[in-house]
This record gives sequence, C-alpha cells and structure tokens, in this order.
Amino acid sequence: MSEKYDAIIIGAGVIGAPIAYEMAKMGYKTLNVDKLPDAGEGSTAGSCAIVRAHYSTADGVAMAYEGFKYWLDWENYLDNVEDEKGLAKYMNTGSILLKSQGHDWKKVQANYDEVGVDYEEWDNDKIKKAVPVADLHEFWPVRRPEDPKFYDEPTKALGGGIFCPEAGYVNDPALSAHNIMRAAEAKGSKFIFNAEVVDVRSENNKITGITLKDGTKIDAGIVVNVGGPHSFQINKMAEGVWEGCNIKTKALRHEVMYCPSPDEYDYINDGYHMSDGDIGCYVRPEVGNLFLIGSEDPDCDPQEWVDPDEFYAGKGGHGRDNVLSEEQWKAQCYRLGKRIPSLAVPNQPKGVVDLYDCSDDWIPVYDKSDLPGFYMAIGTSGNQYKNAPVVGRMMAELIDACEKGLDHDNEPMQYKYKFIDRTMNVGFFSRKREINYNSSFSVNG
Amino acid sequence: MKNIAVIIETDVSKSGREEVKEICFGMITIAREKNCELFAFVINADIQALKPDLKSFGIANILDIVLESDLQYNPVVRAKAMVKAVEKFHIDAVFGLCTPMGKDLLPRMAAQLDAPLVMGCIDVDLQPDSHTKNCLAKTLQYSGKAIATIKTRGNIPIFGVKPNAVKPVKAQTDTRILRFDGIDLDATKLKLIQTGRNDKSADINLSEADIIIAGGRGMKNPENFTTLFKCAKILNASVGASRVAVDEGWVPYSMQVGQTGEKVNPKVYIACGISGSIQHFAGMKTSQMVIAINSDKDAPIMSNSDYYVVADALEVIPELTKLLSSTQPKAANLPNYGVGNKF
Amino acid sequence: MQIYVCVRHVPDSAASITVTGGAGIDQNIAFLINPFDEHAITQAVKIRDKIQGAEVIAICLGPDDAQKTLQSSLAMGADRGVLVQTSENHDSILTAKALKTAIEQDGSPDLILTGKESIDAEGMQTMFRIGALFNFPVVNNIVKFNIQDNEAIVDHEFSSGIVNRYKMTLPCVVGAGKALNVPKYPTFPDIVKARKKPVKKIALTDLNIETVTNSMTVVKLEPLLQKRNPEEIKGTAVQAAEQIVQILKFEAKVIS
Repeated sequence: MSEKYDAIIIGAGVIGAPIAYEMAKMGYKTLNVDKLPDAGEGSTAGSCAIVRAHYSTADGVAMAYEGFKYWLDWENYLDNVEDEKGLAKYMNTGSILLKSQGHDWKKVQANYDEVGVDYEEWDNDKIKKAVPVADLHEFWPVRRPEDPKFYDEPTKALGGGIFCPEAGYVNDPALSAHNIMRAAEAKGSKFIFNAEVVDVRSENNKITGITLKDGTKIDAGIVVNVGGPHSFQINKMAEGVWEGCNIKTKALRHEVMYCPSPDEYDYINDGYHMSDGDIGCYVRPEVGNLFLIGSEDPDCDPQEWVDPDEFYAGKGGHGRDNVLSEEQWKAQCYRLGKRIPSLAVPNQPKGVVDLYDCSDDWIPVYDKSDLPGFYMAIGTSGNQYKNAPVVGRMMAELIDACEKGLDHDNEPMQYKYKFIDRTMNVGFFSRKREINYNSSFSVNG
Repeated sequence: MKNIAVIIETDVSKSGREEVKEICFGMITIAREKNCELFAFVINADIQALKPDLKSFGIANILDIVLESDLQYNPVVRAKAMVKAVEKFHIDAVFGLCTPMGKDLLPRMAAQLDAPLVMGCIDVDLQPDSHTKNCLAKTLQYSGKAIATIKTRGNIPIFGVKPNAVKPVKAQTDTRILRFDGIDLDATKLKLIQTGRNDKSADINLSEADIIIAGGRGMKNPENFTTLFKCAKILNASVGASRVAVDEGWVPYSMQVGQTGEKVNPKVYIACGISGSIQHFAGMKTSQMVIAINSDKDAPIMSNSDYYVVADALEVIPELTKLLSSTQPKAANLPNYGVGNKF
Repeated sequence: MQIYVCVRHVPDSAASITVTGGAGIDQNIAFLINPFDEHAITQAVKIRDKIQGAEVIAICLGPDDAQKTLQSSLAMGADRGVLVQTSENHDSILTAKALKTAIEQDGSPDLILTGKESIDAEGMQTMFRIGALFNFPVVNNIVKFNIQDNEAIVDHEFSSGIVNRYKMTLPCVVGAGKALNVPKYPTFPDIVKARKKPVKKIALTDLNIETVTNSMTVVKLEPLLQKRNPEEIKGTAVQAAEQIVQILKFEAKVIS
C-alpha cells in the first residue's frame, strides 16, 4: 500500500470509529483496519447498547453522564453526515436501579450527587406502579437453578430503588459504529475491512506500522489497539507492550437472552431499563416486545474465558452462531421469572452470545504503552459502549498530547469534559495501575 | 426377481387431461434396478392417458386400482388398498413420493405391514449386497444439516422419495395394464367428512414446487406479499415465507419454510428480504439454485446463494413480474387431490 | 380420561450439528423438547382442562438427560411423566413398540398426541406405528381438534392450502401441527410446581419387548456441505430483473 498514514487504528467498532473521527478532526490522517466485513460487526454488534449512568465510581458515573449527552445529540455529533444505512436511534426508557444487597447502591447514589445526575428515590409502591408485572420480594442471594434453594419462597420485600429519568439504549449498536465511520470518512479517515493484522512493527523502540495477513505492510508512526476481544493478541504483537501492562485483558464469553414479555405488559413502549442486583440481571426492552436479559455476573455463575479466534470460528465448545447454553438460558430467564412471575419462558433459548474484552478489574485501559507511538483503548466490553464518543475524544487528545511530548505516565493528562463541568484524570485508566478494588468486578464497571 | 412398486401421483393439465406428475419420473428412475420388474400403482385414474409416459420410463405393469368413489380419498382405505396390492402382487419394495399424499399414505402402509420406511430419500440402493434383503437409503436428517445413510432390515421396505432428488432418465419397455378392483374395504374408525381449500395459501404445494419465491422481514407488511404472489403466478411458482413473516402474522404458517416449517427442494429458490437464519437454511439448503435479494449485503443468505442482488426486493420483483408477463409462461397443472368445496 | 403425549428429546434447532464417529453426532449440545411436541402438550392440557378427572401424561423414550424434556412438559401443564430410559438411539419401529408397551403398562389411553414429526430423525411415522399397534385411528399434522360425543373431529392440513376434516372414534392418535395452537410456555411459578410432579422411570430393557427383526439403522452420517459460489447481480432494479430472467431461462431452465 503506497499511501502513508499518521495513525493506524486496529478495530472499527464503536470505540475504534470515534477515535478515528476525533483524530481526523484534529488533522490526523487515519486508517482503521478491521478483520470483519464492516464497521461494528464484532463485539459491538453483540452489545446491549445500554446508556445508563450508574457506576460504582464517581469517575465512571461522570463519564457515562457525559456520554449520554452525545447520544442525545447524535446528528450533531456526527456533523449531520449521511449514512445510507440510516442512523442509530437512542431510545430513552429511564432506568430503575433496585436497592438490593447485590448492588452497592449507596455508593452509586453518592456518585450521582457528586456528579449532579438527575434521579429520584422510589419506594416499592412507586416501582409497582411503573412496573405492574414486578414482584418486589427479595430473592437474594443469587443462585443457579441447579441449586434446590433457588426455588425457596421469598419472605422479605425489597426496599425500593433509584430511578434515573435519563437512561435508555441505542436501538442498533452496529449501526451506531457505522454512523461514526461515515462521519470520520467525511473528515478524511479511511477504513479497510476483511483485513487481519498479524504483526505490529517497530524499530529502535518506535512504532513503524502493521503487517496484514495477506502480507501488506502499512506504515504509520502511531498505532492504536482497539481490538476488542482480540486486544490482548494485538498487545502481544507489539514489542514489550503486553509485558509493560500491569492490567491485562482477556476474552470472556457472555450470553444475553431474549424472552417474550407477558402479553398484558407492553414492555417495548412502557418498559424501563432495570438493574436488578437482587437476581443478578439487568433488562431492557427489545423490538418484538421482548425482554433483553443480561447477566450481572453473580459469583455463582461460571466464567468462561475463551480464545477469541476459536470462538468466532465456531470452534471449541458452544461456539458462536448464537448457540446459547441451555443452563444459562434457564438461569437468566428463571431469575427474571422470579421478579416477573407472569413471564413465560420458552423452551428454546434465544439471544446473543458474544465476547467481552475484559480487564483484570473490569475497568478499561485508555493509555499509551511502553512502546512509543503505540496506544490502547482496551478492556472496554460489557460497560463502555455508552462512553464510546467520550472515549474517542479523550483518546484523540491523549494521543495528540503524548505525540507532542507529554509524559503521561508521570504527569497524567487531565481531560476536560465537553458537556459536564468536570475534569477526568486519564491516569485512572493507566495500564500501570494496581487492580482497582473499588470496581464492582462486573458488567456494572 | 424383485417386484418393485412405485406409487404414481397425477395431476390435471390446463387442457383437462390427467397426467403423471413430473416429479414421479425421478422417483421411477431411482426405483428402477437391474433384474427387477416395476409395478406402477395408480388409484382411480385415466390409465390410457398415463400409459405412454409410464411406458417410456420403464414401467412393465400398471396396476389400475379401482376404489369406490365415496371412499377413494379416505387415507385408511387408500393405504389398505395399497397393502392388499403389495400382498397380491408379491411386491418386494415400495417407492412413493415425499409429498403431502406420500406423507399421509406411506407411513400408514409401513405401520400396517410393520415394514421399514425411510422418508425424504435422495437415493436408494435396493441390492447393496447379494446375500441379504437389506437396502440402503440416503436421506437428510437434523433438518438438512446431515445426510444419513440408513440400512433397512426386513421385508417390503418403503421409500418416500424427495421430489427433484434426481434427474429423470427414460427407459422404454413393454407395458401391460392389470386391473385390481372389487377390494372390499371399510374405514369405520376414521371418516373423511369434509375437504376444502384455504384461500390464503399458495396454490402450488411448497414441497413440490420447482420455483419458490419466499419473503422475510424485508417484506415489511402483509400487503407486500401480494407482490410475490403476482410474480409467482406468472412463474408458476409457490410462495414461501421465513419464520419472521409468519410470526408477524403477515402470512399463514403453512407458508413457512424452515426447520419448523416446510422443507423444500425446488430447482430455484428466490429469497426476498430474508436474512437467512440457521433454521431457515435447514428448510431450503438443498435448493438447486438460490437467488437472494436483500438490501443488506452482509445478510448470511447472500454468502449462501448462487446469485445475489443488493437491493430492496420490493423494487426488483415487480420489474421481474413485468418482464415475465411479456413472455409465455408454462401451463400450470393442478394437483389431483380430489379437492372439493371451500370451508 | 387419560391423555398421553409422546415427547421427544432432540438437539436444539439452533445448534450446529457435528458428525462424529461416522454415524452419530456430537452430543455436547443442548437437547430440548421437540418443537412440535410443545403444540401437542398445549393441546392436551387444553382438552384436560375441559374434562373433569382428565389427566395428561407425558411419555418419552430417551436417555437420562431426557428428564429435562419431561420437566418442560410438566411445566407446560402435564400432570406426570414417564421416562423409558435407554442410552441408545432407536428407530421408529422400536420406539413405537416401547411407547405402546409403556403406555399400556401405565394406564389406558383415550387419546394419544405426538408432534407431527421430530426435527432430528424426521421419520414422520412413529404416530402411525403407535396407532397400528393399538389399532387406533391416526391423523397427523392436525390444525384443529375437538371432541364431540366420544368422537374426535380434526382438521388435517394435507398440504399448503388444503385442509381435510376427519371424524375419528376414540381412542385415537393425532400428530400436532404448528398451526394447531400457540404453545403455552411456563412461568416461574409453573416451573416450581412442575418440580413436585411425579416422573416414573422405567428401563427400556424392563419392558420386555419381543425382539424386533425389522429395523432402520443409520449406518453413516455425513455433514451436508453447501458449495455455493455467490455471484453478485449488479445494476438497477430493471437490470437485475433482466439478468434474473436470463438465469431462470438459460441456467436453471425453469422457464421457456
């Protein structure tokens, strides 16, 4: 390839695309390479695309709240670019966080206060009015259906919840990445697909470019790893990078279920996003009046770390192609069946199986690396979809600052949010950090 | 010597003549084995009209089975008549079609005879070895995901052949007609009291169709299926649907192609606005040619097609209908199921 | 009134089937109740709810894992289950004999329901064999069912668009088609209730079925591979239609 680029971004998902977009706006000539046929086709497509602010850290809450502002103003963010596939839509549902032993909701509430997130406290009656199909007994602790105690009668009631009116989901996550790609292209970015990276090249401790599977070498002084579930493989290709990370990433298999709503409940129009630590599930409406049921990764559930190449090739155990495991289908649907006793659970599992790119503490790594010119936005899956536009801007500014000589490891960049009045210490996401035990170690981040 | 029966299905051409259904010739081709004599079993049909075709495909004996008219469409009576004929003419193996008629008749015969039966055969070997009566039949299992070779053990194996499984090959022979009537049959436990046609569905049965035009999510609403019906009429095709279209209530279940719908084997399958789930492929993957029309170039159906068009099917199909209206269509035959009044 | 529903434990239709050992499949996939059997159970429960003292018994020939399919049947409303245990795959001839013997030992059937076919072996015959063994009338692929004066009136979907109505004496055997009803899936309270319903287990060998000489055995299983080389038809809608006509005429030869 004869063309020269300033920066190569590995991955064209919902994080990779906005990094290109923001760098292009700053004048960088960027190229995204992705092994899949189109933008957002990888783990982005499998994302639940939930936009909600409750995180277990104030910084997490702030970033999500900032991200929310982008989704509200999607056309403007894209600079009114045209996408032949149409635009992704943000659907506001509001979000109920049930107060339970499964969530450190007091911490969340304190974070809301600190950041200035709009919320209301709801008692059980109020929740029951909003979600008439709900049974607000306490079912804690979360168990699996194989455990006979799973079927025990509940005795206590829950103690209400925290309602955030500003929350919802994006109806088509893959399309949202595609939208950002079109916006980036309008600013001069290039994207190539069906292109698998096999080497990240460097000389004299400075990044020089990448090599594709077909032998093509592309040169650039900046390479950004946004490889999603493949991120650890990319880090290993770049000299000294993987070894230089105190926080590592790996691919976690994850299942999301679709279960029809009870007939009498118009969930798609009247429903809320609900985060229910008491049963270890979160739910949101899905087209077809379905409940999309995600897992909050309770301790009793097995974690399956997989080789992303084998997983996407459909090899090794359950494989891809939406083959859900029957045990997990029952676990997630029956748990929700406790909360919603009129929920009818079909015998055949329906849903999505995909991979999380998961870091050791479930907090992403947005950082430079030990190899000058090599950057990373990794460990993002499970809870960073909503932050994607913020991350795009923040990474672009970080890369620009480092290229201009910032010693980010010692004097971390302070990122000024565009919508909310707050600054983020980007050093929080450092690869060199110790494991952050404030994290929920789950999809909640 | 082995006597082999083939159960013939007929239809009535537009000119009113009774004809052997075209899909029978492939079945006869599979059934024809060296040193065997073929018996065509025909119920209440115009034997003289059928004879030339049967003769040219190597049928040595046409068995003219005559049933009392008021009982002739009772499946129990038909099966009993067939079983009597099998016994009387010392038949060693029976072939039928895996059609609506075959699916109702062949298992009844097998159950009565306690004989092995393989449905959906794409190939049959009647004499894989010389010292046993075992046969080998190939059929699809796991909804078209695997080809199974099944060994039958026991007398009078029965094979339901998948339409369009093989190319018909002619073989002239001398043909005689044998009349088999006066069969005293009753069916007191099961009575056919009404038969009718349901307007909403296609005229031509999906499992027998040469051409199928199927619609999916991309049809967007029930009205748009009319576009497909119009095109199908001119093409002499049948209209199918994906599960989404059925679940949405746009078309009746009887039109569903897929794992839990009809399994089809047409010469051409035109998929309109169908993404192509694993369950949908299970119902149509043996189609000889697949043409996919979908506005999403990444839909799985595209990479599993022979030809694909990246476009809205609702724009392409009306153009196709226009073009075809100017050419002469083949005459459409109506299946002879003895269908009476509408419900 | 005793209503027996024969259910089958089959691979999940969404699972990828991997052929192993020449004639079998990799069993390390989810097995579920055969989808057509869900319609049979739903219908049986509907009938039972209208007739006092009626009972629905789900019966299954299969491995230990098939208890899951019986649990699904119970959660959908069957009153109890019978599992005829076997670790091997059996053909329709033996399956019918085993189910007939087990039903006879268990009670006296007034009605037997099955799904119209199983999605794995697709033999489309077991219900007919059960009927013949009992000497009960059989209609498969029914889309409507009513009981009137000790007779069953059923609509049989003969083919797309053609429906035949039959009157059958009871007891009888019917195979449920998909248009018969909408399966009533269980709620969590139904699932909890089903856990307390009885399931009787009998080993196939304990049924003492006489040796069967006729059989159908899968001797070889091969994955069906699709070998298509997709070619794009380009151009406007009119141009695409023109090319399709050419393909139908000269390549597929389905129009003249």
